[in-house]
Amino acid sequence: MDIVNNQKMLTASRSEKNRVRLSQVRDRICEAGVLVLTAISALIIVFIFLFILNRAWEIFKVNGLGFILNKGFDQQLSNAYYASAESPQWIFGALGLLIGTLTTTLGALIIAIPMGLGTAIVITELAPSWMKTFLQSVVRLLASIPSIVFGLLGLMIIVPFILNNFVNVDMQIKYINFFQLTGHSMLAGVIVLSIMITPIIIALSVDAINAVPKKFKEASLALGLSHWRTIVKVILPAAKSGIIAGIILGTGRAIGEAIALSMVSGGVGNIPNPAHGPVFFLTPVLTLASAIVNKSEAMSTPTIEAALFACGVVLLITSTTLSLLTKIVEIIVKRGEGIE
Amino acid sequence: MFKSYSGQFLSWFASSLTIAACLGIIIYVFVMGYKSLNLNFIFTEPNPTQDESMVGGISTPIAGTLLLTAIGTLLAFPWALGTAIYLSEYAKKNIITQLFRLGIDVLAGVPTIVIAIFGVAIFSNPFFGFLSSKVEVEGVSKVFGKSFFVAGITMAIMILPFVIKTCEEAIKSVPDSYREGSLAMGASKWYTIIKIVIPSASNGIIAAIVLGMGRIIGDTAIVVLTLGATIRMTGLQPWWTPDNWISTLQNTGSTLTTYIYHMSPAGYGNMPEKAFGASLVLIVVIILLNLMTDFLVSNKKITKED
Repeated sequence: MDIVNNQKMLTASRSEKNRVRLSQVRDRICEAGVLVLTAISALIIVFIFLFILNRAWEIFKVNGLGFILNKGFDQQLSNAYYASAESPQWIFGALGLLIGTLTTTLGALIIAIPMGLGTAIVITELAPSWMKTFLQSVVRLLASIPSIVFGLLGLMIIVPFILNNFVNVDMQIKYINFFQLTGHSMLAGVIVLSIMITPIIIALSVDAINAVPKKFKEASLALGLSHWRTIVKVILPAAKSGIIAGIILGTGRAIGEAIALSMVSGGVGNIPNPAHGPVFFLTPVLTLASAIVNKSEAMSTPTIEAALFACGVVLLITSTTLSLLTKIVEIIVKRGEGIE
Repeated sequence: MFKSYSGQFLSWFASSLTIAACLGIIIYVFVMGYKSLNLNFIFTEPNPTQDESMVGGISTPIAGTLLLTAIGTLLAFPWALGTAIYLSEYAKKNIITQLFRLGIDVLAGVPTIVIAIFGVAIFSNPFFGFLSSKVEVEGVSKVFGKSFFVAGITMAIMILPFVIKTCEEAIKSVPDSYREGSLAMGASKWYTIIKIVIPSASNGIIAAIVLGMGRIIGDTAIVVLTLGATIRMTGLQPWWTPDNWISTLQNTGSTLTTYIYHMSPAGYGNMPEKAFGASLVLIVVIILLNLMTDFLVSNKKITKED
C-alpha cells in the first residue's frame, strides 16, 4: 500500500517537473518567436532601401547628383519611351519634380501651421468641454478621409474655381509657350495638401499641449498673466517638441502624397518662375511622389522604371531624414529643458 | 489687450475653417453621391465603357476592398501583435531594442507610394511568381507582379508600424499588478501574456486592427501600382465561386479607391457622379470605423477605472 502510494507521488512529481520544463521550453520558443517577428519588422525598412536602390542604381550611376540638379524630366521621359531597345536613354534630371515637391509642401505648411495651431489652442484651452469632444471627433474624421476623396473634390471644386476666377484667356495666350493654364496648378495642390495635413498638426499639437503639466499654467495665472499670454508664453513653448513633431509628420505626409496631387497639380514638371508674378502660383507642377503614379503606365520601359525608382529613393531618403529629425528635436528639447 | 483679442479671434477663425472644411467635404459628397446611390449601383459589376447605361455599379470594387482588407489585416495583425508583445514585455533597454524601434519608426514615416514601388520591385521577381500571374514568352518567364496577394502583402507592410504602435500602447496600459498577480500564482511569463495581458488589452488591440483596416480601405497608391487597378476582376469567371478563388486572388481587380480614381475626370471613365457615389460609400465606411474606434477606446477607459 505504502509502496504504491510512494510510486504515485514519484510519478506525480516527475510529471509535474516535466510540465514545468515543458512550459519553460515553450516560453523560450515563444520569446524567440516574437523576437524574430520584431527583427523582421525592423529590417523591412532596410529591405526597402536595398531593393529600391538596386532598381534605381543605373540612374544614379549615369546621372550622379545630376538626377536632382538637372531639369527636363518630361522631355527625357518621352525620349526614353521612344528610344530603341539598343540605345536606351538613361539621362534623367528631376529638378523640376523636386521643386514641385518643395513648393507645394512649403505652401501647404504656410497655410496648415497657423490653422493647425489655432485649432489646437481652441480645442485644448478656449473651447467649452462639450465642444472639445465634438471638435476632436471632427478632426479625427478629417484625418481619416482617404486622399482619393480629397483628390476628387480638388478636381471637381478647386480646379474649376481657380480656372474661372484667376485665369483668363489673355493669360492663357501669354503663357502658352511655357505651359497651359487649366486650373491644374500648384495653388490647387497647395490647397488640397493643406487641408490634408492640418488634422495631423492639430492632433499632435493637442496631445503635446495636453501633456504640459497643469502647474505651469496655474503658476503663470497666479503671477497675473492673462489666459492668452499664458497660452502664448508658457503653454506653447512647453509643448514645443510635440508641436514640431506634428509639423514634421505633416511635412512627411505632404511630401509623400501621390494620388491627390497627381489629380490636381497638373502632371507636368514645370519649374515655377517667380518672374511670372501671380502666375507663379498657377503653374502646373509635378511632385516626386505623384510622378510615380502619373507615369507608372510607362513602367514597362526599363529606363523609365529605373527613373521612377530613383524618385522613390529621393523620397525614401527625405522621409528617413524627417523621421530622424523628429527624434533629434525630441532629444534637444528635452536636454534644453533639463527634463530627463 | 488688442493683441490678445486678435490672437483668440484668429484661433477661433482657424478652428471654424477646419470644421467647415470637414463638414463641407462630407456634406458635398453626400449631396453629390446620393443621386447615384441605390441597390442596383451597389450590387452590379462595373463595365469599362463610356456608355452611361452600361457602366454598372461597384460590386467588384467593394469586393476588392473587402478582399484586400482581409488579406492585409490577417497578415499584419499576428505579426504586429508579436512585435508589440516583444517590445513591451521582453525587450530590454539596450541599443538593439533602440535600433528595432528606430527601424519601425522610420518605416512609419515612409510614404505609401514608396512602399508601393517596393512591392512592385519585390513581387515582379520570378521567385514570387506563384503570387501573381506568370507569362512564358520564348522560354523567358515574366512575372506580372500585380495581384490581390501582392497588394495585400504590401498593404500589410504599410499598416504594420501603426498597428504595432497602437497594440504596444494598449499592452502598456495594462497595470503591472495584473502581471504580478499572475506571476505570483506560478504562471509562466508567456502564459501571463496570453491569458492575462492580451485579454485585458483586447479593446485597444481591436482598435489597432480597426485603425489598420481604415488605412487599407483608404489607400490608393498601393492599389494603383500593385493591384493593377483594372475595373473588373480578371481571374477565371465567375470570380466569386469557391473553385476560382485562387485565380481571383492571383489576378487583378479594383477597390473603391481606384474605382473613384478611374471614374474621376483624371481617369479613363470620367463619370464624376459615379465617382461621388463610390466616395459616399467609402466615407460612410470610414465614419463607421471611426465610431467603432471611439466606442472601443471609451470602453477601455471604463474598464481601467474599475
